[in-house]
Amino acid sequence: MAYVATRGGERAIEQSERLFRAEMGEITPNRVTEIRTAMPYLVDRVMGESSLYDEDLAALALAQTGGELYEAVLLLRAWRTTQPRLTVAEPVTQESLFTHRRISAAFKDIPGGQVLGPTLDYAHRILATDVLTGATFQPVPVDPASTPSPAQQPSVAAWQAENNLLTAPTTDTAIGNDIPDVTREPLLFPAKRAHTLQSLARAETGGVLALGYAAQRGYGQAHPTVNELRLAEADIRVRHPCGTVFSAGRVKVSQAEVVSKKDTELGLGFAATLGWNEVKVIAAATLDLNAHGAPKGSPTEEEFFLYHTEGVESSGFCIHFKLPHYVTFQSSLDAMRDAKAKRAVSKTDVKPQMEPAE
Amino acid sequence: MSLKSLTKTWEPMSYGFLDASAKREIRRKMLKAIAVPGCQIPYASREVPMARGWGTGGLQVSCTLINPGMQVKVIDQGADDSVNAASIRKFLARVSGAPTTMNTLEADLIQSRHRIPEEKLREDQILVLQVPNPEPLRPVQPNMSIARQMHADADYGRMWLQLYEQIVRSGRVMQGASYPSLVNGRFVMTPSPIPRWDVPKMDMAAHLTILSAGREKRLHAVPPYTRVEPLVFDDVPYRVEEHAALTCSRSGARGFFMNEIPQGDGTSTYEVSDSELGVKTIRCRDGEAAQVGETWYKSGEMV
Repeated sequence: MAYVATRGGERAIEQSERLFRAEMGEITPNRVTEIRTAMPYLVDRVMGESSLYDEDLAALALAQTGGELYEAVLLLRAWRTTQPRLTVAEPVTQESLFTHRRISAAFKDIPGGQVLGPTLDYAHRILATDVLTGATFQPVPVDPASTPSPAQQPSVAAWQAENNLLTAPTTDTAIGNDIPDVTREPLLFPAKRAHTLQSLARAETGGVLALGYAAQRGYGQAHPTVNELRLAEADIRVRHPCGTVFSAGRVKVSQAEVVSKKDTELGLGFAATLGWNEVKVIAAATLDLNAHGAPKGSPTEEEFFLYHTEGVESSGFCIHFKLPHYVTFQSSLDAMRDAKAKRAVSKTDVKPQMEPAE
Repeated sequence: MSLKSLTKTWEPMSYGFLDASAKREIRRKMLKAIAVPGCQIPYASREVPMARGWGTGGLQVSCTLINPGMQVKVIDQGADDSVNAASIRKFLARVSGAPTTMNTLEADLIQSRHRIPEEKLREDQILVLQVPNPEPLRPVQPNMSIARQMHADADYGRMWLQLYEQIVRSGRVMQGASYPSLVNGRFVMTPSPIPRWDVPKMDMAAHLTILSAGREKRLHAVPPYTRVEPLVFDDVPYRVEEHAALTCSRSGARGFFMNEIPQGDGTSTYEVSDSELGVKTIRCRDGEAAQVGETWYKSGEMV
C-alpha cells in the first residue's frame, strides 16, 4: 500500500480503516454491555476526559476503538460538541454529595468521619492467575457496618475556614448560561476560574499526573497534603420550565482538596471530575494549588499545564507528525544546503573579512 | 399551523457537521479576522471527527463556509490525492453534498495544507489554510499570553533579532517554511508552513485567505488586496527556494516548486509539488484538452 501521495490515496485509506475494523471484529450490544459492567473505572476515566457522562456511549467508544483511549475520548468529544444544550443543572455543593468514599490525610478524624469505601489501596497486588486455568474469582461478600456512615458530609476546608486556618474561596454566584463554558469559548489567560476547573476536569489523566507529580516531587512551590479526597454521586437537579426543580439522575464524581502551609494560612487547591478517578483529581488539585504565583513558563503555571494536559489536542498533534511533511522539509533542506555551501566557500576563501549577509 | 410545521425533522447530523451556534461563532470570528488583517482571533474550536493537528481548524472554517453550490478542492503538501487530503475531501462532500474538484480553476473553496496552488486564484475563490502553529512569535516567546501582549504592542524586536542572528551565524536567513510576514503593515503573522516560494503569492492577492488553527484555537485572515511582506532587512533580499531551474521528471513542467525524490544512485529527481498542475501539464503534452490557468510564477520568476 503506497503511503506517498499517489493516485490511490482514497482507496488506500479506505482499506487501511477496513483492516483496523476487521481486526476488531463484530461490535454487538453484548460487547458494549460487557465493557460497561466489567470496566467501570476505565469507563469513568473516558467519561471524565470527554466531559460527557454516558456510560453506554463511553463503552461503545471503547468498543469501537479497541480501547485506544485517545481515540475513544476524541470520538465522544466530537459527538458531544454537536449536541444541543437543553439546560444547565443547579450547582452541586460538596455537602450535598452522596458520598461513597471520603478520606483525609490532614487529620486523624474529621467531622463526618473517614469513610474508606471501595478501594484497592491496601490490597496486595497479586494476579489471580487461577482464573486463566479455569477457576472463577469469587469476591468475598462485604460485612456491613452496624451503623451506616452518613451519606452527606461537610468539606474539610469548610471546617478549616471556620477555624481561620484558610480563607474560603468566594462563592461564584453565576448560574445557568452565565457560567463560562470552555467548550463554547476560547481559553485565554489569565483563565477564568470556571475555565481552569473545567479544563482540569477534562484533562488527560496521564498528562495531569506527569505535571502534578513533577510539582509534588519538587518542581512546584507547595507540598500538598490531601485535605480530603471524595468519591461520590451528585444529584443532577434541573429546573422544569414551570419552575419545579427535579432530579434528572445521579452522576459519579470525584473531587480532591489539597492544602499546604502558606505563611500563616493554608493555601487550597481543588479539582473535580466526572467519574471516579482518584489519581487525576489529586494531581490536578496539586497543580491548582501550585498555580498561584507560579513563574511564567514553569510547569505549574496555569497556561503551561492547561495547554499541555489537553489530551485530545496533545495526542492529535503528536500523531499528526505521521502526516507527510515533505514540503516544509524541502524548504528547510534548501536553506540548510545553501548555508552549508556558503560555509564551504568561506573556508576556502582567503579574504579574512566576510560580509555577514551574503 | 401545527407544531410540526414549525420544527425540523430530526437528523443525526447538522448540515456541514457543525451546529448552528458553532458556525455562527466562526462566522463572527472570520469577520473580525478580515477586519483586522493578520491578527489572531481566538475561537472556541469545536472537536470535529478528525484528530487535532490534522486540519481541524481548516475543516471548521470549510464546514462553515461550504454550501451545496460550491466546488471544493482539498490539497495536502500540494497534492490532491495525498491520504489526508482524500480523507478531508471525502468528509466535506459527505457532510455538505458539495461537489469536489481537483482543478484549481474550477474550485470555489480550497482547503490546503502547506501550499498555495501555482495557478493564480481569483476574487471569487477562498483559500483556507491549515495552521499547526498560528503564533509567529512562538520561537522567541512560547508563552501565548505574553506573545499576545507583544502583538498588541507591535513589539517585534525579538523577531528581527532572531533573523539577524541567523544571518550572522549561518550567512543567511535559515527560516524554511512559515516565513514570518507583516500583514497590512501592522501584524506579523505566520503564513502557515507554506514554503517561502508561496509567500509572495499572498501579497495583494485577489482572493481571501483564512488561516485557521484548530488545536491552538486561533484564526487569522489575509483579505483580498492586502499587503503581505516577509520580514527582511533592506540589504538582504528575500529568497525563495532554489527551484526556478528545476524540471519535473514526470510532466516536464519547469519553474515551479518541486518535490525532491531521492534516487537509489545517490542523485535526486524532481516532481512538481502542485500535483494537479503536473497532471494538466501531462495532459496538454499528450494533446488532451486541459486548461492551465495563469500562474503566479512565470519561467521560475514571480511576476
